[in-house]
Amino acid sequence: MELIIENLKKNFEKKEVLKGLNFRFEKGKIYGLLGRNGAGKTTLFNCLNQDLELDGGTFYIHDGKERPLEANDIGYVLSIPNVPEFLTGREFLKFFLEINKKQVKTPKTIDEYFDFMNIETSDRDKLLKDYSHGMKNKMQMLVNIIANPNILLLDEPLTSFDVVVAEEMKEMLKSIKSDHIIIFSTHIMELALDLCDEIVVLNKGVLEEITKSDLDDKEFKDKIIDTLREA
Amino acid sequence: MLESFIISFRLKNTYMANSIIYSIKGLPVLNKILPNRLYKSGGLKVFANIVSILWEIVNTFLGKFLYVLLMLFLMTTLYDTNQADTFLHIFTFLTLIGAISNTYMFNPTKDKYYAIILMNMDAGKYAISNYAYSMLKVVVGFLPFTILFGLGIDVPLWLCILMPFFVVAVKICAIFYDIWKYKRTGIVTNENSLDKLRWALIALLLALAYGLPVVHVTLTRTIFAILLAACLLFGIYSLTQILAFKDYKKLYKKLLTPDNVYMVKKATSTETVKKNIAKSIEYDGSFTSNKEGFAYFHELFVKRHRKLLTKSAEKQSFFLIAVVALVLMIVHFVPESKEPLNYITLTFLPYFVFIMYMLNRGTTITQAMFMNCDHSMLTYRIYRTPQVLLGVFKERLKTMISINLMPASIIGLGLALILYATGGTDNPLNYLVLFISINAMSIFFSVHYLVMYYLLQPYTVSTELKSGTYKAAQLLTYLVCYVMIYLRLPTIQFGIATIVFCVAYTAISLVLVYRYAPKTFKIRL
Repeated sequence: MELIIENLKKNFEKKEVLKGLNFRFEKGKIYGLLGRNGAGKTTLFNCLNQDLELDGGTFYIHDGKERPLEANDIGYVLSIPNVPEFLTGREFLKFFLEINKKQVKTPKTIDEYFDFMNIETSDRDKLLKDYSHGMKNKMQMLVNIIANPNILLLDEPLTSFDVVVAEEMKEMLKSIKSDHIIIFSTHIMELALDLCDEIVVLNKGVLEEITKSDLDDKEFKDKIIDTLREA
Repeated sequence: MLESFIISFRLKNTYMANSIIYSIKGLPVLNKILPNRLYKSGGLKVFANIVSILWEIVNTFLGKFLYVLLMLFLMTTLYDTNQADTFLHIFTFLTLIGAISNTYMFNPTKDKYYAIILMNMDAGKYAISNYAYSMLKVVVGFLPFTILFGLGIDVPLWLCILMPFFVVAVKICAIFYDIWKYKRTGIVTNENSLDKLRWALIALLLALAYGLPVVHVTLTRTIFAILLAACLLFGIYSLTQILAFKDYKKLYKKLLTPDNVYMVKKATSTETVKKNIAKSIEYDGSFTSNKEGFAYFHELFVKRHRKLLTKSAEKQSFFLIAVVALVLMIVHFVPESKEPLNYITLTFLPYFVFIMYMLNRGTTITQAMFMNCDHSMLTYRIYRTPQVLLGVFKERLKTMISINLMPASIIGLGLALILYATGGTDNPLNYLVLFISINAMSIFFSVHYLVMYYLLQPYTVSTELKSGTYKAAQLLTYLVCYVMIYLRLPTIQFGIATIVFCVAYTAISLVLVYRYAPKTFKIRL
């Protein structure tokens, strides 16, 4: 399966933020999306999540045949966790499992999901409004993974985790990557290099893959920085 | 010093001008046409600057004019005491109140916050120069009116001229006291949240201002002149102390906290609303639900927001029952009231459109839905699939209608009862029309608010209301309902027309929601 973006354009008034992106994202890989502040990473995610209307171009899934993206193809984890504060963690999961019944082929029990995410037993029946920032983030990540979407968009997802949880999440993402296209935006180069299979740079409104070929880590880093600098 | 003032004045002007442009851009059609460049556009900037300077002028004179006219001059004429003395008497005590409640220096305004905290301007220079400017505004703003009204009431001209300076002197003395207190205790006075003692003092002064003349006790112009001289002298001393004070930065750091700056004046600011609504979640572990999917989700929402949703409708209902009972008692004990009340039930139905509008809690409910629920849920793509979205919509519509029907049915029933008790009608259809049309109005408003919310979704990620169209639709709703107050139409005709309209509106808008909401119901980015 592939996510294919063709000539995608997005303007805000007269400012062209995305100037005709072209890219093929493949299943089984984690893509590190790098870009300077204001480069349009979040705009790109918002377009793919159909929160914003496009000003040109298209994107679709190629899975033997071409088809448009549907709601359940996409999971989007925002950098600021958004969870309904009036529910408990357990209730939120229950609701999500129920509305995603069709997608979840082999549902586990709710507690198994909590275990998977290392969420303490004592926290499972608390209101989400009393969760810490990091725990809300875990919940957000979890419900996005449960639905088993083909494409996972992660916007700066690990920055709010402590080092231990960040490590757990990294392992978790690696463990599920074979079934997904994971696009991961970040400002932290080390994280991108450590976790991602491909590095993609969003610069001056276009997407560009940076290939490592036979460069060592230092040279590869410099190459990325140079590309980002060309603004 | 002057430079500081000019910078701060330009800063204030710039953001005033920008807010004016921002409001213009918030208007429905215009926001599509006008680009962001607008903030840079010279012509519009000039226009906005002119508006902002005009505002400064109005702000200098209008308030003072109204104050002198309404609180001093007209009040004075109510008493049969010596008019000039009474005028000075009330003026003196109100000026003391003003010195406590309106210090300028200790008002945590946005101007100060931007300049001192965000822009790191020299706090001392900023405080003194702006204070001098506001005192100048006091003198310039007061002078024409103390002379005009003072002379009109036989106050000697020299006193009229000195009156504004009295205000300034008293204010400066008060500031000196507050700074002195700060130096001793470290406590900063915030004029927007006064302590009990100050409120008591204000009440006492107010009583002295308007109470003493009732018993024919007032200050005389001689006493006023002595007070004036004393205040001027002490004012000059205070001024030297204020100028010598060095710790403005520290003082303002304490005063200008975001809480003070943004919350006290506007209890409606989005942050406050958000906090309050988030607080309204009730949870004691006993509320659960046996339903599934979105019905489960919605039921928990309703149960955890009982105070916000059902409780106030219940309160409304009890209040309305009491009103109906009261009217029925009046009818029983005062037979003369029957005829006019009977007339009201048969011709005042349009007025009830406005009452139903006022009673409907649609805006509060949709706001809570957004802040506590949709704000987070809309970021999940699955929540926006037509199936889930419309499923939740249906549940919400049921809740919204049933909440609002509680008080509505009491009004409907009450009106029919009152009609019966006041002698009835030739056409029994009136009873039915009264009851049904009131309930239809209630359903209409419930549908209207929810549909507007789903079709226009006016809130942004930061939970601000940012849709000119939505605001315009709200305003239009209000205007239409308000105009209804002035209509007198026979209940049968108007009632039937209302019922037909409500049914048609509901049907059409539901079709629109089912067709368009999956596209329109998303967070504004």
